[in-house]
Amino acid sequence: MEAQETCSYMTHGAVMPFCKGCGHSNILKKLNDAMASLKLDPEDVCLVTDIGCIGLADALFDKVHTVHTTHGRSTGFATGLAVADKVLASRKMKVVVLIGDGGSMIGLLHIVNAALMNVDVTVIIANNFLFGMTGGQQSSLTPEHFVTLTTPFGSMNPSLDICRIADASKGGFIARKIATDKDLTDVMAKAISFDGFSLVEVLELCTEHGTKRNDLKGGMLAQMAEHEGHELGIIKENSLRKEFSRKYESDVQSHTGEIKQPAFIEQESLHNLTKAAGIIISGSAGERVQSSAAMLCEAAVRCGLNTTQKNDNPVTQGSGFSLSEVILSPDEINYTGVSRASYVIISSEAGLKELKAQNIFKRIDNDTVIITDESIELSNNGYNVISLPLRKACGADKATLGAVDYAIRMYGLFPHEVFKKVIEKKFGQYETIFKKEFLTFWF
Amino acid sequence: MQTLQKALRSGNQMVAEGAIKAGCKFFAGYPITPASGVYKGMIDLLPQNAGIAISSPDEISALAYCVGASMRGYKSMTATSGPGWALMIETVQYALITETPVVICVVQRLGPCTGGATQGGQGDILITEFATSGGYTIPVLYPSTAKECFRLTAEAFNWAEKYRTPVVLLSDKEIGMTTESLDYSGLGDLKTFDRKTISKTDPDFKNWKMYGFDSPDMIAKFAPVGGDIKVTATGSAHNALGYLKKNDTETISTLLHLEEKITSHKNEMVLVNEDLQDNANTLIISFGITARTMKDAVKTARKNRINVSALTIYSMFPVPEEKIINAASDCKRVVIPEENINGQYRKIIKPLLKDKEVIGINKAGSMITPEEILERII
Ligand code: SF4
Ligand SMILES: [Mg+2]
Repeated sequence: MEAQETCSYMTHGAVMPFCKGCGHSNILKKLNDAMASLKLDPEDVCLVTDIGCIGLADALFDKVHTVHTTHGRSTGFATGLAVADKVLASRKMKVVVLIGDGGSMIGLLHIVNAALMNVDVTVIIANNFLFGMTGGQQSSLTPEHFVTLTTPFGSMNPSLDICRIADASKGGFIARKIATDKDLTDVMAKAISFDGFSLVEVLELCTEHGTKRNDLKGGMLAQMAEHEGHELGIIKENSLRKEFSRKYESDVQSHTGEIKQPAFIEQESLHNLTKAAGIIISGSAGERVQSSAAMLCEAAVRCGLNTTQKNDNPVTQGSGFSLSEVILSPDEINYTGVSRASYVIISSEAGLKELKAQNIFKRIDNDTVIITDESIELSNNGYNVISLPLRKACGADKATLGAVDYAIRMYGLFPHEVFKKVIEKKFGQYETIFKKEFLTFWF
Repeated sequence: MQTLQKALRSGNQMVAEGAIKAGCKFFAGYPITPASGVYKGMIDLLPQNAGIAISSPDEISALAYCVGASMRGYKSMTATSGPGWALMIETVQYALITETPVVICVVQRLGPCTGGATQGGQGDILITEFATSGGYTIPVLYPSTAKECFRLTAEAFNWAEKYRTPVVLLSDKEIGMTTESLDYSGLGDLKTFDRKTISKTDPDFKNWKMYGFDSPDMIAKFAPVGGDIKVTATGSAHNALGYLKKNDTETISTLLHLEEKITSHKNEMVLVNEDLQDNANTLIISFGITARTMKDAVKTARKNRINVSALTIYSMFPVPEEKIINAASDCKRVVIPEENINGQYRKIIKPLLKDKEVIGINKAGSMITPEEILERII
């Protein structure tokens, strides 16, 4: 569709649904004029409206796409629309958010993040210092001493300077205007055409709730802002930052990171299991417990086994215990817990402590082979314990790996050669993985 | 040796791969254990697959970004767990009322509240199904293996696109974070479905309305924001054109249609696995991680010459009522193991099981074991 100079984005002869004298009417007319001055193709405009009186605007703009959202979240939806449009559709949609002072606070996070991302979204905040639609309650943008329905003695808090928040969020275009300003149209047009995030806070009057309770006239808005220490006019206008999609494109193109599709695992040998084996490996965080278990699984798959590996660790991943429950089976594995452990590896004191805490000894019997570091003292309940100098021979970080290596050699679950190849892929030549003399410790 | 395509994958990774297969082009994520693997998977995969994955500052933003991207015409997904899902409840209703396709993967963990980040749970079934004010159905799929994560994620997208609705892919910590060996053969053949869209040149355009329908099962063609047809979307009750209206008949019927369009397609939304045996006294019904445990218990029972039937539910909602009634028809007892304290799915399906003894096995903090189910098979 060709944009025409006379194009109006609002419904012809639209009746404003607002109270007499409400600033919203002015803001919307000027928004319409601003879009017209930019000759935007209506198909390329999406007006995203928030909840509240200003949110009624969507019904007035019948030429452009309108998305009327949940309270405060308008900038969030707008961000998704803008990113998808610019990155995926490679178009030039202009997304304009209309939000009130109340919505701007509950949705502050979305505004901050849109500014940080520098998405091509314009946020227009119609600030009449209170929640109009719900009866004139205090908002976070209500100035100190301002009387509202819920602050009959005047607001105790000063008002939030949302323009400064936008500035701190690295937004490129920021302005604070008054609804009656002659150049409001121009400023809105500048904001919309700005290639990146822009925000215009427009100060106005709620004639239903604001002016009735306060000695306030339009002419006093500038003074009010000054009193709150809020700057007026275009506060910031710089295009130092690239708009999101442009930055994204160049960053993705120049990406040389490690992302690769994990490859399939070829079967190269045969296993010796006739039934499932449950292996519980417990040790300390940062000592390759879970990665040793993963390498065990990979080798097992290379020998035609099915595997599951269920990990556990404290919420802080780098401290305390680390535990893996591994099942190797010639059959399909359903339940992923180890009901009865065939092998248990305990490579550190933290590992033992966790086994006790989780009552795992209930799943251990006299047939279970327990491979522990020599430092660990297990009460002798007739357990089949093999105590080895794991930490000494393999180093703390490879004690678990050494124990897994030992178990595969000793109990012949599948050819050790296969495991050796898997760990060599990660650590280099087998002979250099553990301490030189490690084999002599147990053979 | 056969040519298998074996790999080690977690359920979370397979959700990401399934989403890519389904044609997902947009993902927004916020970190949360045990769902973060989906987020990382999408961050890695989407840029190589003509899509984009972004980080969001909270879960409300994550879903709002996804809904926005979907309104622009792109298949979108986010992933979270209980605490994040709680924050998304308003936004998912927005997707529902604006008939915007979107997939939310909810990887359950131990609740309530922050509960246990690294512990499993199956306690978000009811909050998921009853997330809407007014009682509208959010379709829910629930895989029980990593491989099923792939298939059902793709299916979740298909449902979202076909029925223009948010769809929840329920998962749990044990499925999401456990790595298992799986075989990719067959996964490539999955069918994917794209939403039907409309433009001004479409012959249907003359009679088209944003949310119009001639019959309960009809789903209006989708007009993307930015297309040549003006989009009018609102989270408020609206008429077929999308304009906010109060209480007129058209508005109420447009609202009711949100539910009717799902219920009138519910027979196409049935995904279960029936493992029924003649002369079985007991039927076990389960899903997710517990469905796997059920399989082991059933195996052992049958080895001990006890007949038992088992039903794995993948399509949790709409409830596959006929399948459940049929599976239970010859049994006296129905056992429903689930890892929550109040028997959430049991509450839902109990009215279908008239004249049956309905027994729950419930647990919090650790997986239900095969032995615990076996005890209940007689
Ligand atoms: S209540 Fe206040 S904000 Fe709402 S329309 Fe009336 S004057 Fe305007
Ligand atoms: Mg206000």
